[in-house]
Amino acid sequence: MMFWNHVSNRLSAYLHGELRPEESRRVAEHLMICPRCRDEYEEIKFGSQLAARLSKDLARAQAPATLWAGLEEMIDGVEAERRRPGAVQGAVATWWKIALAGAAALAIALAVFRFYPRAPRPGWDVTRIEGEPRIGSKTVGEAGKLRVGEWLVTDDSSRAEIRVGEIGQVQVDPGSRVRLVEAKADENRLALDRGKMQAFIWAPPRQFYVDTPSAVAVDLGCAYTLEVGADGQGLLSVIAGWVAFEWQGRETFVPAMAMCVTRPRFGPGTPYFSDASEDFQNALAIFDVAESGSDARSNALQTALSKSRKRDALTLWHLLARADGDDRLRVYNRLAELIPPPAQATPEAVMRGDRAALDLWWEKLELGSAEWWRIWKGPVPSQTK
Amino acid sequence: MSDFRHFMKRGAVMSDMASERRLIEACQRGDREAFHELFDAHKDGVWTIALRFTGDESVARDVTQQVFLKLFTSIAGFRHESNFKTWLYRLVANECMDEFRKKRRLIPLDFLKGGRPAFSDDRDEDCGEVEIKDWREEPLQEERLARLEISEAVLAALMQLKPKLRMAIVLKYFEDLSYEQMAEALGCSMGTVASRLNRGHKALAQKLAHLRS
Repeated sequence: MMFWNHVSNRLSAYLHGELRPEESRRVAEHLMICPRCRDEYEEIKFGSQLAARLSKDLARAQAPATLWAGLEEMIDGVEAERRRPGAVQGAVATWWKIALAGAAALAIALAVFRFYPRAPRPGWDVTRIEGEPRIGSKTVGEAGKLRVGEWLVTDDSSRAEIRVGEIGQVQVDPGSRVRLVEAKADENRLALDRGKMQAFIWAPPRQFYVDTPSAVAVDLGCAYTLEVGADGQGLLSVIAGWVAFEWQGRETFVPAMAMCVTRPRFGPGTPYFSDASEDFQNALAIFDVAESGSDARSNALQTALSKSRKRDALTLWHLLARADGDDRLRVYNRLAELIPPPAQATPEAVMRGDRAALDLWWEKLELGSAEWWRIWKGPVPSQTK
Repeated sequence: MSDFRHFMKRGAVMSDMASERRLIEACQRGDREAFHELFDAHKDGVWTIALRFTGDESVARDVTQQVFLKLFTSIAGFRHESNFKTWLYRLVANECMDEFRKKRRLIPLDFLKGGRPAFSDDRDEDCGEVEIKDWREEPLQEERLARLEISEAVLAALMQLKPKLRMAIVLKYFEDLSYEQMAEALGCSMGTVASRLNRGHKALAQKLAHLRS
């Protein structure tokens, strides 16, 4: 029996994409010819789906608010113990001369450190709107400063406004945690850990970013709301302008009146207009998370296509890049019914992911020029002239 | 475009790392406020692991506080040679296992499966440890399962897994760690991580086989 050829001990790693490409290929080939390992793979996959269900339904738990108080008492106890004279008496008796010299050196060093002029960490002004928002452990009065690395936290009854340097403002709604990650002339970045924020940015594109647990929202000159749940899922709703949602090579462009969900481990989903039918939105949600090549994914795509309107061309255009094989061809055909493709966007060109052809088709959607997408990835036009 | 994205992503990660490094260095200087910030940044992750591993809020509270107390007393020894989060999660995993061992000492011998000696043959590869069978590892009753929602049933099944398998599942699915990060957090090889996940997945599938149809 070719026992050593079985791949059962690598099946979870294969499932999680943790194997090197050649190993992964070997496992896939073996699964095609070995019913025993295939059965085992199905069992492991089912166990993995159950576990994934846990993380989806239960999400990350929030630590009780009272934890810190109890911990602080314990820390006080440890520090009091450290300061107890007996704890260091012997050492002082033996090494008092060295210790005194060290203490003197330390005092001098501390004095130099204390009076040496240091630049403060950059920060943004915060204004209290209501309640008692906090920066770190301190309550913001009427106004405060959020410095790089600090968290702004609002409880269920507080709200605050952050002035994003000279380029915009962000309102932080109740129950939110926002951290200032970077405050530079060319990069302004917040991290929204949970809760909801509304951003209004008037700077040129690509100067303001918001990190969420599963995507980065890149401002392209716009107003939008961004919400992150306790499970790390995010919802972006654009009010004006455009926002790009990016994660590990996957990107989504979201125009005004459109929305996009982002999910941990999956990244940004497919964007859709907020007035799309519920069936259409539900089908997209399934398509975004279902396993590639699965019947569930294919069926969801079929539903989305059958429910799509001309206005949903935005969604279908994004689906062209996300669907594979026959599914991509089905998307092509439906989009072609809604918005006839330009001559260059042949099925062959689109099937091989020809960007120029896709861009030309994009132009026909009348949502703004594809040229503009490419510009924002490069230098700002006014700076290049 | 991909280069640009890579640059942007790397920039964001490096910026986060730099901020966290500054925070850790402040903690190492004894800055209590900085430690509070570090606590705020990681408390939900630590709490989630402790809660999902122990299945008991009061125990999870003890575990979380002990982890951060140990962090406070040992952070001076952190040399930035490893990833801070996985270093912290190693404290959590150890504390959870310690908690399990404490509880296990209180379990009457009658509960051990079939009256067999407390040790099973279930040797954990690479780590070379021998594990005591968890007395809770018994089939879920059908009627009990019928009363549970699926995620509750999975959670109940998770609680019946051996501690090492349970911890692997918790780190993978609640904290989304890679095998490399898990190996660092659990102090074992990536092969052992893969093996524990394999066994954990199979055990879950077998305990909840009736949901498969």
